[in-house]
Amino acid sequence: MVVKLTMKVGIPRALLFYKFFPMWTTFFRELGVKVIVSPNTTKQIKTESVKHAPDEDCYSTKLYFGHVMAIKDEVDYLFIPRFGSSHKTNVSCPKFIGLAEVLQSMFPDLPPIIMPFYSTAKSGHGKRRLIYLIFSIGFKFTKNPFRIIKAARRAYKEQKVHYENLILDEKTLHKWEQTEYLLNNFLSPEEGERPIKIALVGHSYVLNDDFASLNIQQILKEHGVDYITSEQLPRSLVEKQMDKLDYNLYFDYEREILGTIMHFIERKSIDGIIHLIIFSCGPDSITGEMAARYAQRDPSVPLLQLTFDELTSETGLETRIEAFLDLSRRRKK
Amino acid sequence: MMSITYPHFGSLTYLFEIFLNELGRYDIVKPKNPSRKTAIIGSRHSPEFICTPFKIVLGTFMESIEAGAYELVMGGFQAHCRFGYYWPVLKMILEDLGYDFRFIILDQTNPVEFLRVLKNDVSDNLKLFQILKTLRIVWNKFCCIELVDKLLSRYRAVEFDKGSSELVAEKAFKLIVEEKGIRNIKDLKKKLPGLFEKEVSKDTKVNPLKVAIIGEIYVVLEPSLNLEIHKRLNELGVIVDTPVSLRNYVDFEGIFNPFKKSHKQITLRKAKHYLEHSCGGDAQASIGDTILYKEKDWDGMVHLYPFTCMPEIISKSILPQISKEHNMPVISLTIDEQTGEAGFQTRLEAFVDLLERKKESNCK
Ligand code: SF4
Ligand code: SF4
Repeated sequence: MVVKLTMKVGIPRALLFYKFFPMWTTFFRELGVKVIVSPNTTKQIKTESVKHAPDEDCYSTKLYFGHVMAIKDEVDYLFIPRFGSSHKTNVSCPKFIGLAEVLQSMFPDLPPIIMPFYSTAKSGHGKRRLIYLIFSIGFKFTKNPFRIIKAARRAYKEQKVHYENLILDEKTLHKWEQTEYLLNNFLSPEEGERPIKIALVGHSYVLNDDFASLNIQQILKEHGVDYITSEQLPRSLVEKQMDKLDYNLYFDYEREILGTIMHFIERKSIDGIIHLIIFSCGPDSITGEMAARYAQRDPSVPLLQLTFDELTSETGLETRIEAFLDLSRRRKK
Repeated sequence: MMSITYPHFGSLTYLFEIFLNELGRYDIVKPKNPSRKTAIIGSRHSPEFICTPFKIVLGTFMESIEAGAYELVMGGFQAHCRFGYYWPVLKMILEDLGYDFRFIILDQTNPVEFLRVLKNDVSDNLKLFQILKTLRIVWNKFCCIELVDKLLSRYRAVEFDKGSSELVAEKAFKLIVEEKGIRNIKDLKKKLPGLFEKEVSKDTKVNPLKVAIIGEIYVVLEPSLNLEIHKRLNELGVIVDTPVSLRNYVDFEGIFNPFKKSHKQITLRKAKHYLEHSCGGDAQASIGDTILYKEKDWDGMVHLYPFTCMPEIISKSILPQISKEHNMPVISLTIDEQTGEAGFQTRLEAFVDLLERKKESNCK
């Protein structure tokens, strides 16, 4: 009897995984591949990260190293895309492009890395490139082109559904801003009192990594805060804010971050903004400064900027958040 | 009076001055050589973990505005790194500090816009053809300046009388600034090597080591930030070269002669195997040049990059592999405004020692 071996592809749960996981996991699964995603970040993963990653790297990239180490021994391939950009002119952080090759160079014993390169802004990639990539990856695992097409379609659909569920439409956002609608419906606000509303702003891979963000979402929930994340803000509103700048914020994901902050500074519809910054992050050094200065110029919505790295302490963080929420509450009245 | 100024950028500072003069601007506030104080005031107002060149540029602009400058000229283009954000952030910071100024941004990746800004915002009512003419002059003077830098880093290592090469270089820079007419400039360029050869007496006994410096362009080319590394190595008797050049960003020769392979294209080809796509800055070049200099039989590489520089952290992580596979010693040094001289010197000396030992054992 022939035992049919399924190939295993490992995907580190870090960085862009948090944006593209529906697409990536679905694609491989539909090809009949076993997808192994590294577990949620743990203390041990952090320790491994710090041990293996270059000292000066940003905290999020360091964590990527730990996630690679966590799964490298049980997979046949690692999937680490080299992602340049998906926008006509705007780019992403260069680390997304270099990471796969850095890992390969530093750890030659890793399993083979599948590293598709995609860059609309600098290389003019579009649909054709995408189809090429889909097939070149697909044929590693199946000979059936129809299966590949089907997998790609499903993957695309999953990603779309994910965005649809995640991103609010302008109407819902407006209702939320008017407190006619709660985003965190587990709340039981006391009669007649509206919960405080906060925007939680940062990279997807910080917002959604409970370990890296020291459970900030949980902390906010426990304090009865109705929060919105920068991922949820309608893109159209982000772009509207970006159009007001006299320069082009060409790091695509930073647009979401600064755009959300500017939107709420302008609308003054919430009680506070919490901005999560990654230690030693290049793009954040720019947006962090911009955000701080816009907030200073128009201080009606308080802004709290928190910097995260491997040494940030949970208690210190909680105290700062509590103090900030107190301030927001007092302002609300 | 609306005086104009620009960042300090190694010997290219001469070039910027030449450029403005050619465009009819003489109301210049020359940037001071960045000092410790420049770095301190710059970093006091800079974002946390911004890369170091930013702090120096900010400090320099603050000093120049206080000295009377109003128009600030600098480059700005969109790449994979932060350079394109320098001016908007600088602008906000300087505004918040209450300064009165105006930014003029030159983006060489967009030639039409580049020329428009030069014509309307910088030049003193020049016509387009006049501007094109000045570009040619400036480019040729740029080649001269670069050549002097190269010669200096070579001759200073073997000079008999300490300081003699620097005197020649100073003289040469002065000639370059003053020379007029494209023919004369081209002639001058041919004469420069002879000038050094004639006026610097060489210590002929030595068989010097040869080291190339690679990395992020600002830190490689600005002596006040890199603690005069070229000179330090020269004083250890090492001949120094650097492939890092403005050419990698603006390539005039490439425009006029598309068949000539530029240095950048050659290095990128070499780097491809290790880092296939551009990550901004000079990351691929750092890798490609290491291989190239090995092929040219140089002894080692010093890789410099500013603290938190994004592209160079990538190349720094890959360079150890290149070093091993090509048997080429590489030392990566991160630099910021707080880098101490003593530790820096020790590391350089240790590296040079290592190269010397390697060379000796190869000769045996
Ligand atoms: S955007 Fe910032 S946090 Fe993300 S990988 Fe780049 S440097 Fe790191
Ligand atoms: S190359 Fe490095 S130092 Fe230069 S602007 Fe970019 S990130 Fe900063």
